[in-house]
Amino acid sequence: MTDEADDKAPNEIDDEIGEAIDEAIDEAILAAVSDYLDGALTGARKAEVAGKIAADPAWQRAHDELTETRKVLSGLQKAHAPSSFADDVARTIHRRSAGRFFARRTLGDRVPLGAVLAVALAGLAVIAYVLWSSATGSLKVDHARDRPAVTGSAAVAPP
Amino acid sequence: MSELERTLLRRLRDRDERAFRELIESHRDRVFNITYRMLGDRAEAEDVAQEVFISVFKTIESFREESKFSTWLYRVTVNHCKNRIKYLARRHDRDRDELDESSHETNGAAGAPLRHVQPDRALEGAQLELLLQQAIANLDDDQRVVVVLRDVEDLSIEEICEITGLPDGTVKSRLHRARLVLRKRLQRHV
Repeated sequence: MTDEADDKAPNEIDDEIGEAIDEAIDEAILAAVSDYLDGALTGARKAEVAGKIAADPAWQRAHDELTETRKVLSGLQKAHAPSSFADDVARTIHRRSAGRFFARRTLGDRVPLGAVLAVALAGLAVIAYVLWSSATGSLKVDHARDRPAVTGSAAVAPP
Repeated sequence: MSELERTLLRRLRDRDERAFRELIESHRDRVFNITYRMLGDRAEAEDVAQEVFISVFKTIESFREESKFSTWLYRVTVNHCKNRIKYLARRHDRDRDELDESSHETNGAAGAPLRHVQPDRALEGAQLELLLQQAIANLDDDQRVVVVLRDVEDLSIEEICEITGLPDGTVKSRLHRARLVLRKRLQRHV
């Protein structure tokens, strides 16, 4: 750094200092004009900046350049999402959640787990009762079948 | 918040798929425009915009209705963009390192030429757009956020403060600096 500074002629250093001062002043003006254009100034400060823009060429130039920059920025074309965007998002959600995301609320969150279990147990009990009470149900205990068969051979005496 | 918005929120919390689609339809272009202007690449912008909506759906329960829904949505958008910018920067550094290594291996052969905008053509519509997009992309992340939200999306300073969580003064000073940089870059062409 020192070596570089030593290599420069005094008038070059003066120029650099001058540019830095200009830039600092420029930045202060731009900050004020920027606030003015954003509508962030009120009362006396607003009137003061408006007056400077009208009277001072440096302020006028900062105002024109900032206005132009803002105009160009706001005039940027609006980028539109592809028409399939909503489908793409929905598909991604379905894929990542294995279809559970939009379905989960149907039972999972709204109905308490205890209630779901109670309903399930009641359902099982009804099914069991139906199977038990049915004449052909698999749970029906066939006592007749368990009794020892009384057949004709017992009554018939051996020859 | 309007009654219509409240109803939509209730349906979103109930995971009504149609409500999600309505939400996407009404906000997709704005979210996409922010991601595109922040990232400067359509494919990345689309990917991030999708992630924004997926995050919104997953975390809709955490939205406390203390701010406008759109403010919350843009906050999620900005955070996703910043994360992606960081990720892309890390990937870019890694790729550059690999490229440096491979160029050393090939005795310092020149890499792919960088794409430059021809200044004399920059005033033509598409070129100006490209020039501006590059100028925005060269801003640092914090400046890019405020300039995109304020000058491209036309949001108020108050909304930007809410979205970024920054104080008024910080937003304004970042905006001034961003405009100063953009002005300098565009000065020769606009």
